[in-house]
Amino acid sequence: MNHSLRVIASTAKVNLVMTWRFFSWTGFALRFFTPLMTLGAAWTLYNAVYEGQKLPTGFGVAGGSSGYLSFITVGNAFYVFVFAAAFVVGRVMFWERATGTIEATFMTPMSRLAYMSGIMVAAAINSLIDFTAVFTLGLAFGFQIAFFNAPMFLASLVLTAFALFGIGLITNAVTLTFRDRTTTANSLMILFMVFCGLVCPVGLMPPWAQWISKALPLTYGIELMRSSLLGTGTIDPMYDVAALLILGTIYFVIGAVTLAQIEKNLRKKALFSVF
Amino acid sequence: MFARVAFAEAVKSLKVYFFSSRTLFWALALPLGNGLYLYFLYLPFAATTVDLQFGAAMPTKIDLVGFTIIGQLLYSFFTMMLLAGASFDAERWQGTLEVLLLSPANRLALLLGGALANAVNYMWMLIALVLSWVAFIHVGIFVTDLLALSVSLVLSYAAMIALGMCLETLEIYSRRGSIFTAWLQEPVTFLSGQIFPLQKMPTFLLPLSYLLPLTFGLMAVRLTLLGGASIYAVTMPLAALASMTIIFLVLAGLFVNYAERKAKANATLTQF
Repeated sequence: MNHSLRVIASTAKVNLVMTWRFFSWTGFALRFFTPLMTLGAAWTLYNAVYEGQKLPTGFGVAGGSSGYLSFITVGNAFYVFVFAAAFVVGRVMFWERATGTIEATFMTPMSRLAYMSGIMVAAAINSLIDFTAVFTLGLAFGFQIAFFNAPMFLASLVLTAFALFGIGLITNAVTLTFRDRTTTANSLMILFMVFCGLVCPVGLMPPWAQWISKALPLTYGIELMRSSLLGTGTIDPMYDVAALLILGTIYFVIGAVTLAQIEKNLRKKALFSVF
Repeated sequence: MFARVAFAEAVKSLKVYFFSSRTLFWALALPLGNGLYLYFLYLPFAATTVDLQFGAAMPTKIDLVGFTIIGQLLYSFFTMMLLAGASFDAERWQGTLEVLLLSPANRLALLLGGALANAVNYMWMLIALVLSWVAFIHVGIFVTDLLALSVSLVLSYAAMIALGMCLETLEIYSRRGSIFTAWLQEPVTFLSGQIFPLQKMPTFLLPLSYLLPLTFGLMAVRLTLLGGASIYAVTMPLAALASMTIIFLVLAGLFVNYAERKAKANATLTQF
């Protein structure tokens, strides 16, 4: 246990140092393009296309631009965690392979899960910067905090990070097996972007889309976050917490088992570096 | 010789990428996902149609699903053209970029071959998607002038292929070419009128919108495919698309020479 904690701390430290030592403004800015584009599009739709006449419905808050644009801002701010899970945790082994260090990494006696957890910790810390930045951008588009429930806010962050970690593990296993570079991570980003209620309440989506939403942890994370900041409260927050915990555990177990299995398979067939 | 190089490059790219996860994502998952995302963006407004207007003409009511789907299909073609440049990135990763550029093959032919292969890769997906949407989602197609629709499609694709060739040179010029092209995606989505009608774009951004072939392509294809416009109604966007095709082709020729010369002089083709 103590050893695993040390692995987590040292991996997180190394990753944070690497991120900031080789900081790239172009890569950093790129992470905000999707949220910025969505905020701009939502603002234009509300203010220019529908000229504030047709008020959005079904949000559980008072109508008006601040309600709608705050709804969109929270969804987009939360989306940065998907980037952390899909592109950082999900491509760890791809980069280890690309830089020629994958065999050395797998030769160490450390716990693989501790190593991946360290990477998730670093990614989550970096994501908090993005998260804050998106909220700040949202202020320019009319984001307003209706009220603040700190425990619920923290629970949404921690539990979503945990659930997304499991998905990151699965992505990593797929990437490692198929030598994929970005397709798995990109597909995951699209899946979350479309079905987690970023731009539209899940209740307004077609029934088949709602079924997909229910299987994605980010849906509950966003609902919890909105409840903590906007007081939308259409669904019991405890339901969201329970759903996040259950889904997080399921994804984590699948991710951990898949990763172990794939490592075993790659070792057996000598496919770590070349195949 | 030019045609043979372009053909060979196109065949090579088709063989490598036709049944790849990359093509499946960019030509199928991305248009479907983004199309749904934009449709969901409109859901809170309980809208079923969008008013589309170009210049001083009267606004035309367009089916919302058709509006977002056509927007996404053309935008995906644009991203496929951006992706054509990634073939140079792949050559660099495989260590074959220097060998490729040592050959006497015409560089423009190489660019054209890559762009054409991506166009073909996308075309069969596009046809399948359009047919399935018309059959299952009942998108309101309203065509009165087939010639106008055909010319709109051909010129839109030609202008975007030419722009794609320009952007491909970024991949030769810099290892960060992929990031530069990725940078374009969201601004182009916003500025081209893909998400909302162009007449609602903030005025100060319109000059930027008019630099994009996608803007005129979307206008012409939406009006002719969903709004029943004749060729006379879309003369202006078609003329803009034809001009852009020529300009971007000339620029692609100049850019590729510059990028290659610079990369060779700085020895940055493979490592830097």
